[in-house]
Amino acid sequence: MSPEIQLAGIHPRSEKLIDLTRSYERAKTSWNQVEAQLEQETRELIKFQESLGFQHISDGALGWQDQLRPIARSLKGVESGTRYSRWFDTNTFYQKPIVTGKISAGEINPDTFLRTELLTGERNRKITLPGPYTFSQLSENKHYENYPDLLFDIAVAEREIIKRLRNEGVSLFQLSEPCLVYQPYRENFRDQSEVELALRAIRSVVEDNPGEFVVQTYFGDVAPVLPKLLDLPIYGIGIDLFETDTSALREQASKALVLGVVDSRESYVEDPRWIADTARKFCDQVDVQDLVFASNTDLKFLPQEIANQKLEALSKASELFEGNR
Amino acid sequence: MSKLFPVQEIGSLAKAKWRTKGLRQQLSSQDLSEAEEWAEKLAIQDFHDRAKSILKTSDDRERAKEVLELSTLYGLRLFETAGVDNDGVGGEQQRVEMYEHVIKAVQGMTLLGHIHSFDYKYFNKGVAESKISRKHPVYLPEFLDVKKYAHRAVKVPITGPYTLVDWSFSGYYIQKQHTSSSKTRKIEAKREFLLDIVEQIIRPEIRDLVNAGASWIQIDEPAVTTHPEPQEMELFVEAWNETVRGFDCKFSDHTCYPSEIGYKVLAEYAPKLDKCDHLALEFANRDTSRLGLDEDSREGFRDLKHFVDAGFSGEFGLGVAHVHDFTGNVSSGAGQSLGRDIIESPELVRDRLLFATKIVGDPAKIWANPDCGLRTRTWDVSLAKLASITKGAELARETYE
Repeated sequence: MSPEIQLAGIHPRSEKLIDLTRSYERAKTSWNQVEAQLEQETRELIKFQESLGFQHISDGALGWQDQLRPIARSLKGVESGTRYSRWFDTNTFYQKPIVTGKISAGEINPDTFLRTELLTGERNRKITLPGPYTFSQLSENKHYENYPDLLFDIAVAEREIIKRLRNEGVSLFQLSEPCLVYQPYRENFRDQSEVELALRAIRSVVEDNPGEFVVQTYFGDVAPVLPKLLDLPIYGIGIDLFETDTSALREQASKALVLGVVDSRESYVEDPRWIADTARKFCDQVDVQDLVFASNTDLKFLPQEIANQKLEALSKASELFEGNR
Repeated sequence: MSKLFPVQEIGSLAKAKWRTKGLRQQLSSQDLSEAEEWAEKLAIQDFHDRAKSILKTSDDRERAKEVLELSTLYGLRLFETAGVDNDGVGGEQQRVEMYEHVIKAVQGMTLLGHIHSFDYKYFNKGVAESKISRKHPVYLPEFLDVKKYAHRAVKVPITGPYTLVDWSFSGYYIQKQHTSSSKTRKIEAKREFLLDIVEQIIRPEIRDLVNAGASWIQIDEPAVTTHPEPQEMELFVEAWNETVRGFDCKFSDHTCYPSEIGYKVLAEYAPKLDKCDHLALEFANRDTSRLGLDEDSREGFRDLKHFVDAGFSGEFGLGVAHVHDFTGNVSSGAGQSLGRDIIESPELVRDRLLFATKIVGDPAKIWANPDCGLRTRTWDVSLAKLASITKGAELARETYE
C-alpha cells in the first residue's frame, strides 16, 4: 500500500475567510457570514482530503484561534485572555493558559474542537490536540507546588476530553508534543527524568486505546527521544524531517512513523520525486512498520493555496514511493 | 531628556475608515464625518479647508497623498493631546503595517498571502524570489510630512532587518544553498538574506532619514527573541552593528512578546549592540492588573533585572499599558475593564514605573510607553491609555520632587 497522507494540525484559512474575519472584527460583517464561509471551506477541505486519498479526515480546525485555546477553555482551574505569548519561533501567538487552581475537565463542548456535523460521512476522523506535556510547558503555573501534579492533572483532564471526542466519532488523536524536542524557550534543557515524566503523562492519556494515538514532534530533532517514544503504546510517532538529524537514527520502528516531509515554514512546494526519494532514504536507515506522509507541523504557517499544493505533492509522492519501492 | 519619566509612543495607531477608504476611492462628506468629529477633539484648525480639497480632487494619487498627510497630522495631534513627549511618526499612518510596508519596496520579493498571527490578525508574508534591492524609499516621504507638523521630538520607528528576514520565506536564498542538511541550508540562507536586507534596504533607508534630519531611529526587532540560540543571537548582533555603522543618530531597539526566556537572552546580547542607547520593551502584558510595588504585584517586570545584571547601561522604555484584547479581572484602583480593553489607571502606571526604577536604580533612564503600537485599539481607547500613561508618569515624577 502507498503511505497514507494526513493533515498534521491546523490548516490555513483562505483569503476570503481572512477578509471576512477581519471585517467581522471591525463590526462590518455578521458572524453568520463568517460561519457560512467557515462551513463551506471546511467542507471543501474535507472533499479535498478525500480526493487525495486520505484515510483519516480532519476538519482542518479552521476556526481555532490557536493550538491551545479549545483545551484551555475546557479546563477548570485554567484562565486565559490576559496574556499573549509567541508560539515557539514563529510570528504567531497563543493566549497563555494561566493555571490558577486544581485542573480538571470542565464542561466539554465538542463543537469547540470539531465540526462533527460536517464530518458525518467520515468514519475515520482525526483531530490534533496539544499533548499534556506541551500544554503544561506553555502554561503559566500559579497554583501547583509540584510540576508533576500539574502535568498529571492535565493528562487526566485531557483523557476526559478525548473520551468525549471519541463519542463524537474521532478515531485518531494526534497529540502534538513539540516541547519534547524543542526547548530554547527554557533556561535549563529537560533532563532524562523530565522526559520520563512527560512520557508517563502521555502514557496515562493513551493507555486505554493505544491504537488511536499519534505523538507528533516538531520544531526540533526527535533523534534523542525517539527510542523512548517507540516504547509508548501508541499507533505512531511524528517526526519533523527538517529539524531531525536522520543520520543519527538507527531504530527499528514497530509502529507507524508520520514523516513530516513537506516544510510548513517554507513556501516552495517540494517536488514529489524529492519527497518520495527522501522517504526511501529514511526507510533505508530506519526499519519502519508503517509510513504516513504529512507536513512537519501545522500548515497554518503558509497561505492556503501553497498549503494545498503541498498536500497534492504529498499525494503524488505517496504514489511514486509505492511505485518504485 | 531632562524631565523624569518622559512618555513615548511605540509606533502604530489604528487607521480611521476615511484614511483606508480614501486611499482607494473618492470620499464623500459623510465619509469625513468621523474626521470632523476628531478634528474638534484634536484641535485640527484647518480641517475644513483640507476636507474641501480632499473631496474636490479627482486625481487618485493627489487624494491619497492628502489623506495620508492628514491622517499623519491627526496621529501627531492625538499623541500631543494625550501629553506624549515624543510624537513618533504620528502612528505610522502612511504604512500598511510594519512588515508589508517595507516588503512592497523590495525588488525581488513578492507577497504571497496572509498568515494567521493571532485571533483575527494576520500578516501578508513575502518570499525572496531573486537577489533583493530597493525599489524606492520606504520611510522618507512619511518623515518629511512628520517634520512639517510635529511640535515635539520625533523618533522614527523602522522594521529591523532580522525581523524582516525572519518573517519572510527565504525562497531564492534557500534554494541556492547546496549543503545536504536542511538545518544548515536554512541558517546559511538566512545569513545571506539578512546581510542583503541590511545593505540593500535598511542602510539606504537610514541614510535617507539621517540626511533629512532624523535624530532618533527605533529599530523594531520583535523576531529576535524568538530564536534564543547563540548562533541566531550572534547573527542578530552582526546585522544590528552593520545596520548602524557610521551613522550619527540615536538608535533604540523595540522588542516585544518574547518567549519565556527571550528577554533573558536579549539582555545578554544587548550590551553588544553598537549605538543602542535605549531598549523599549513589553512588560504590561505579563504583569498583574493590581496596584502595588511588591514583587508579586509587579511580576511582569521581573525580566528587567536581566538587562541591568548584564550591564546594559542605556535607557529603558517600559511597557506600562497593555495593547491587546484583555478579558481578565482588574483590581480596585488599577483601572477599568471595558469590553475587550483595559484602561490602566494612572496609579497602576505609576506603580509600574516606580517598581522598575527600583530595579534600574536611576529614574533618569526610564521612559514610559505602551507595550507596543496601539493599532489594535480604537482611537478613543488609545487616547485614554496614553493619557493615563502621561498622568501616571506625572504621579511617578511627583515622588521624586
